[in-house]
Amino acid sequence: MLIRFELNKKQTELEVAASETLLDALRKAGFWSVKHGCETGECGACSVLMDGKLIPTCIMLAAQADGHEILTTEGLAEGQDIHPIQKAFIESGAIQCGYCTPAMILATKALLDKEKYPSLEQAREALGPTLCRCTGYVRPLEGVLRAAAYLRGEEVPPLNVKPIPVEAVFGPISPASGPTEESGFEPSGGVATTTRITTAPTLTAQDTTVVVGAPETKVDAVKLAKGRAAFTDDMTRPGMLYAAMLTSPYAHARIRNIDTSKARALPGVRAVLTYKDVPRVIYASGGQSYPNPKPWDQVSLDNKVRFVGDRVAVVAADTLEIAKEALKLIEVDYEVLPAVFDPEESIKDGAPVIHDEPDAVGIYDAQHNISATILAQTGDVDKALAEAEIRFERTYRTQQVQQSSIEPHICITYWDEDDRLVIRTSTQVPYHVRRMIAPLIGLPVSRIRVVKPRIGGGFGGKQEMLIEDLAAHLTIATGRPVRLEYTREQEFTSARSRHPFKITFRAGLTKDGKLQALEMVAIEDTGAYGVHGVTVCSVAGLRGLSTYKCENVRFDAKIVYTNKPVPGAFRGYGGPQALFALESFMDEIAHELKMDPIEFRMNNVVRLGDSIPIATALGEGGPVPQVIRSWGLAECIERAGNAINWERVKDPQWRFDPERPNIRRGLGMAVLMHGTAIPGLDMGSAVIKMNDDGSFNLLVGATDIGTGSDTILGQIAAETLGVPLSKVIVYSSDTDVTPFDVGAYASSTTFISGGAVKKCAEDVRNQIFERAALMLGTTTEGMILRNERVTTPDGRSVTLEEIAHHSLHTKDQQQIMATASHMSLQAPPPFGAQFAEIEVDIETGQVTVKKLTIAVDCGTPINPLTAVGQLEGAVAQALGYAVSEEMAYDQSGSIQTRRFGDYHIFSADEMPEIQAFLVPTYEPSGPYGAKAVGEIGIDGVAPAVANAVYHATGIRLRDIPILPEKVWRALHQSR
Amino acid sequence: MLPEFDLVMPRSLNEALQVLAAGSPEVLPIAGGTNLTVDMRSGRYEPKVVVDIEKLPELKGIRRENGQICVGGGVTIAELLKDGLVAETAPVLKSACALFANPLIRNRATVGGNLVDGSPAADTAPSLLALDAEIELTSQDGKRRLPLDEFFIHVRKTARQPNELVTALRWALPKPGTGSAFYKLGLRKADAISVVSVAVVLEAEKGVCRKARIALGSVAPRPVRAKNAEEFLTGKLLKKEVFEEAAALTAQAVSPISDVRASAEYRRRMSAVLTRRMLEQAAEQTGWKE
Ligand SMILES: Cc1cc2nc3c(=O)[nH]c(=O)nc-3n(C[C@H](O)[C@H](O)[C@H](O)COP(=O)(O)OP(=O)(O)OC[C@H]3O[C@@H](n4cnc5c(N)ncnc54)[C@H](O)[C@@H]3O)c2cc1C
Ligand code: FES
Ligand code: FES
Repeated sequence: MLIRFELNKKQTELEVAASETLLDALRKAGFWSVKHGCETGECGACSVLMDGKLIPTCIMLAAQADGHEILTTEGLAEGQDIHPIQKAFIESGAIQCGYCTPAMILATKALLDKEKYPSLEQAREALGPTLCRCTGYVRPLEGVLRAAAYLRGEEVPPLNVKPIPVEAVFGPISPASGPTEESGFEPSGGVATTTRITTAPTLTAQDTTVVVGAPETKVDAVKLAKGRAAFTDDMTRPGMLYAAMLTSPYAHARIRNIDTSKARALPGVRAVLTYKDVPRVIYASGGQSYPNPKPWDQVSLDNKVRFVGDRVAVVAADTLEIAKEALKLIEVDYEVLPAVFDPEESIKDGAPVIHDEPDAVGIYDAQHNISATILAQTGDVDKALAEAEIRFERTYRTQQVQQSSIEPHICITYWDEDDRLVIRTSTQVPYHVRRMIAPLIGLPVSRIRVVKPRIGGGFGGKQEMLIEDLAAHLTIATGRPVRLEYTREQEFTSARSRHPFKITFRAGLTKDGKLQALEMVAIEDTGAYGVHGVTVCSVAGLRGLSTYKCENVRFDAKIVYTNKPVPGAFRGYGGPQALFALESFMDEIAHELKMDPIEFRMNNVVRLGDSIPIATALGEGGPVPQVIRSWGLAECIERAGNAINWERVKDPQWRFDPERPNIRRGLGMAVLMHGTAIPGLDMGSAVIKMNDDGSFNLLVGATDIGTGSDTILGQIAAETLGVPLSKVIVYSSDTDVTPFDVGAYASSTTFISGGAVKKCAEDVRNQIFERAALMLGTTTEGMILRNERVTTPDGRSVTLEEIAHHSLHTKDQQQIMATASHMSLQAPPPFGAQFAEIEVDIETGQVTVKKLTIAVDCGTPINPLTAVGQLEGAVAQALGYAVSEEMAYDQSGSIQTRRFGDYHIFSADEMPEIQAFLVPTYEPSGPYGAKAVGEIGIDGVAPAVANAVYHATGIRLRDIPILPEKVWRALHQSR
Repeated sequence: MLPEFDLVMPRSLNEALQVLAAGSPEVLPIAGGTNLTVDMRSGRYEPKVVVDIEKLPELKGIRRENGQICVGGGVTIAELLKDGLVAETAPVLKSACALFANPLIRNRATVGGNLVDGSPAADTAPSLLALDAEIELTSQDGKRRLPLDEFFIHVRKTARQPNELVTALRWALPKPGTGSAFYKLGLRKADAISVVSVAVVLEAEKGVCRKARIALGSVAPRPVRAKNAEEFLTGKLLKKEVFEEAAALTAQAVSPISDVRASAEYRRRMSAVLTRRMLEQAAEQTGWKE
């Protein structure tokens, strides 16, 4: 039927089908800014304005738009123009992956059209419907208020940040005395959630950097704010087919037979693939370095299913509707097998054997469903425990949670003109995908090109070769482009998640509270496949046993199969599990010993110059000894502690509210320590070439998943090359064009890829100096490259443009360019402190987190704006982990939380106040003194909240999430 | 794309009722579509014909009518929330609307769709029950009015016949000395289906309860009233012990289930806690101080 409506201020006629949603109709018409993340009305990504009101297009019929006025982000500003709201969002750092951005911008418009002076509360309410998994909403709220100021016609000051003192481009580093002044980075806009930077007194430098340390706006922000076609799904190809996946309804079953004849006979169906159609090649789907850690216990399509949601068959058809229809026609004859869901049951004699296939490689004890084990120790733990004056033992449990990037997994595969297979995919690991997929689809690596466009969030969920093989099999079978996307429901049933752990800590201490021995015994539930199981577990061991100084430590872990959807990589990678246990445990010990919990921790914590004993016995890529060479923990505790007003912990009266007798207040904290990259394993590389106008192309394999890595890598190059960021054109993650990088994981990009970029830029700088020397008839001695100009000590200079012209066109012609790679044996830990203020309703058990403060020492923040964004976003995810998120199952192992309505990720209107602080130190092994910031923010909220609940009520919760009913039960039992 | 169906877009109520006249369960009206599109996509409903009633003028509007407030069945939650008459005569409904989903959904969701969907968690239901609202159902054969309490039958089952549309809801103007309160206990803030919700309306004179209405959501196969507690309250002096007792009676009146969100036991206990709190709040509004 034909509908007539005003679309982006133009009268428009659109032919739509009766059953078409407005979402489908708009995207089909090329309005790619309208995204989708759930199609149940719950994520808000598909929102547009209808008659000025925000509405969800995924749950509205296209025909119902007839006669209305519709505005999409495309309609806000034409061509290269930029709307004040878009500008405000870009400037305030509100855009990370950008997938939720067009909807947020429209939500902002709806608010500002009727409210010139919005309050923070109104801004929260306005952004409430648009879920964002990246930002924690702090910067977007800032963006709303900044936009309001723009629209009122006010002068809005630029984000103000004084340069952070770091290593001079050429200057040496000198140790400093006392604390340096606060450098006062305070985004304007008047949001209560401000961000400040202070400098820890470890090291300062003599000179300042220009581009490094500046809150540069992200290099991809404009296209994202404008909602341009930047994501995997924002295109079609001629003849493209739509794929859909049939998944198992049973937790454990053998497939006796599959009859696909009816499905194949359905008009429009082009291919139906089952285990009968694709070669059986054993692999592990985790996006990790060669050779992938064992066990290898997966095949593309198997004749056995091991969890509800496991792959059974895949269909390609002319439309998605036909593909889905075809799924219903596939007849599967299942022999249902007994299933097991609890790891402690799973390892018992007689439990159902999940991996009985003979061709799996490297399973530790398949008969007992033990995927792998880890035993690592230093010193003599048994002796130290036996001799300790005081001993403690506690057990903690953590739940399974889902990454929930708003953009689901999606890829499009096709043959290019040269019969090479192109895989356009939303991945964190393009290079690993290329290598790992090759044997599965029987093509050499040389015939595969993997391209990662913008991706709508990853958080580890896309550190995986999750669906690319299925799409590729279909393209090979049909010769046609194939698009395969997970539904939101499949994100829960068939994607990856965080490993649940049971962790028992044993500690031996002296009477005055000095740690003598620490043992961590863990059972990790790796679900139906072993992918990431052993590496996540080793990181859990590292994280659990690194923070506190102790010679006698032991990690003893089992990684166990169950018939559950498969956990994988999720930001923190074992860290949040370990730190919930460790930081709860430390709190418990401190209280038992009647010591101040911070003092107790500081008596035992590792410090500058200390080595980390467990690192000599345990490591994700094998043990590599580590020494701490930058440490800002004390400053972090002070900063974040002051911000939450920690002093109140000493006032017993404060816990009570005379106005509300059912409320108890509490404060809690946790010490954070994470890793930076996998030492001796992770590698990144870069290519830089110089252009005619003195600009540079920077090509990196590093994968920007919304974190801003393209931007900070550009900043490192720009700083080294003496140009503004605008003169560096960053292109990343295309296996045909950019050099190798392991990808976006393990908090490695700034440190490892950034190291490569710096080396590469230094090489280019040297070539520039040589060219300048040639031009000026001098030597390179003492030359300086600043402000796009090389200056000699005697004051003569040439511009980069002149140098480029000379080298490309004039004499001894040469392309100034370089390549470099970087790996590191150091994995310098960032440190931090997390504080939480909470309220408990003792009648309902409801825990309301009022405020979270975090301070992190990440070395030099290359870009303070993206760095605090990482912290705020991680804290928001960590809050969900602490109090609301949990993948829940029924008796048959079928997941119950299949929608955002049931799986609770936080929205803007329910967020507590977050304050994030950067405490820069100087890390000698990092580029410009940087270490990691991407993951550490997710480690501490759960223990801080649990510790605060204890402070408020005296109730100790040793399993998360801290749901109202759990608290209520615990309170009830204690009475 | 949703599974296929034919779409009819009538221009008047009469036209719409004609399409529905056959009374086939395979012909479904669509208003905001916030339930129906989701249900069609998941395959829960597979209508052959969908009738778009969203733009029908007869289903719109909020007005005073013969000493009553009359709300069209197609009025959205957003419209209820910002309407002055609703705020004045039914603050308990306004509170429910403020905790209903989020602004995005509120802009589309209608009160008619909310009630017809027949969810025990429908957020307008407890308040409308506590207001003693009447629901107007219209078919080609004419109109009928039912007390809302008689409309709900079971999960996804209501007294609506397939040929009928919800055309209006009505409630009486509040008497002096009326107080009310609504609260929804969710796992998060507003944007979550509730674990328990409670609406209370009290009419009192000099602190003595003349009439009490207590209605709850998510604790039985349909939105329910705690009639035992209502009766108990009538004629009693509004005070703490009385509220405690009424709350305990309310807990007996509910029959919750356990699900992902909460256990039956927790829901039952929370029914009592919330009822007591809502009674306290409502009593305060009646102008009476203990
Ligand atoms: C993200 C999300 C969050 C939600 N949160 C909440 C919440 O917090 N609280 C809550 O209560 N609900 C919630 N809902 C459910 C839903 O939004 C409401 O029930 C809404 O009021 C339904 O109204 P509608 O106009 O969209 O109904 P529709 O989807 O159009 O229709 C629902 C049903 O009612 C029928 N129908 C509609 N109007 C009429 C009429 N006038 N006469 C006869 N039959 C009719 C339809 O045929 C259909 O069977 C939520 C839904 C979503 C998607
Ligand atoms: S709300 Fe429409 S896609 Fe999520
Ligand atoms: S920036 Fe909001 S979802 Fe990524």
